[in-house]
Amino acid sequence: MPDQEPRTDESTTGRKPPRFTPAAPSGLKRLWRALSKRPDTGHIGVGLLVGLLAFAAVVQVRADDDEALANARRDDLVQILDGLRRQSERLEDQVASLEADRRDLVSGADSETDALKQAQERARVVGVLAGTVPATGPGIIMTITDPDHRVNSVLMYSAIQELRDAGAEAIQILGDGNDSAVRVVHDTYFLGPEDGAMNIGGTMVEPPYNVVAIGDPGTLAGAMSFTKGIVSRIEDQKAQATVTEYNELTVDVLHEPQPHQYARPAPEDEDD
Amino acid sequence: MIPLAGVLLGVLAGLAFDVSVPLELQPYLPIAIVAALDAVFGGVRAVMEGIFNDKVFVVSFIANVLIAAFIVFLGDQLGVGSQLSTAVIVVLGIRIFTNVATIRRLVFHA
Repeated sequence: MPDQEPRTDESTTGRKPPRFTPAAPSGLKRLWRALSKRPDTGHIGVGLLVGLLAFAAVVQVRADDDEALANARRDDLVQILDGLRRQSERLEDQVASLEADRRDLVSGADSETDALKQAQERARVVGVLAGTVPATGPGIIMTITDPDHRVNSVLMYSAIQELRDAGAEAIQILGDGNDSAVRVVHDTYFLGPEDGAMNIGGTMVEPPYNVVAIGDPGTLAGAMSFTKGIVSRIEDQKAQATVTEYNELTVDVLHEPQPHQYARPAPEDEDD
Repeated sequence: MIPLAGVLLGVLAGLAFDVSVPLELQPYLPIAIVAALDAVFGGVRAVMEGIFNDKVFVVSFIANVLIAAFIVFLGDQLGVGSQLSTAVIVVLGIRIFTNVATIRRLVFHA
């Protein structure tokens, strides 16, 4: 704006303009001169206003720091409120779905616990049957002293069969002669005796034998000692058999189940 | 010299006194600050162009602030306060940009 130059360029007349610089003094020079000029009473108003602006700006910035919502307009507040309401609805939906999930999981865990308990109970029952867990209860111990080794496997098998018929639920045979012990299960076989020891399910058991059976003691004892029964047949072989009833017995010899080679569980029926 | 001292004094006073903005002034203060900033940048530009006049500055400063505040007030009364304040901010922002661009050209010759 060359037409307004003459007002403030009184000191530029002696200055030779360098290349590519306008003939008038540069803006920075003018700014510096204005700043370093002797104070002018007319500038007091300018200073006051600029100071007021700085003060207001600082106050506003500081107010914004602590009360963000206080300066908001009604429309903005309504918008913020709307946003918050939508957010809270979303969060409530989320809470509801999470609670439903939690209920499902809790009830699922409950039914799973029930199923687990039932399965464990069944495993215990089946384990007693299969000889894989110890069993305890009332029963009898039949002690067979057989110094001449004349009680053979057939007789022993008959005794076990009688015990099973009488409702024996868990049976073990202890050979006191060589401290051996066998749990009698469904696939236990009887061989011998050979060299004074009977092969019971693969274990050599030497007499005297202790046959421990858990079941109703009276029934089991009766099944052993009826006329022409097991006890009398054993005594026919010049051996001694004594039956003692107990209120509490433990069958604690365990049977190692072998994996089945051919049989595998058939799939259950769909409607089962 | 005096304006610089004024800026310093104003900042120090703002930091020293914990003044809370009066409630009825709260919607107008930000707009007024932006309007004043526009006036200040215009003043700096005028200084660098050599056409600065303190009377013009004082009048334009006060007029800017009052007009901006009045427009916002009017908008609030008409129910379009936020839109009008946005409009004022945009216009003032454009003016500030123009002023700063001119200052930049005067400083860097580019």
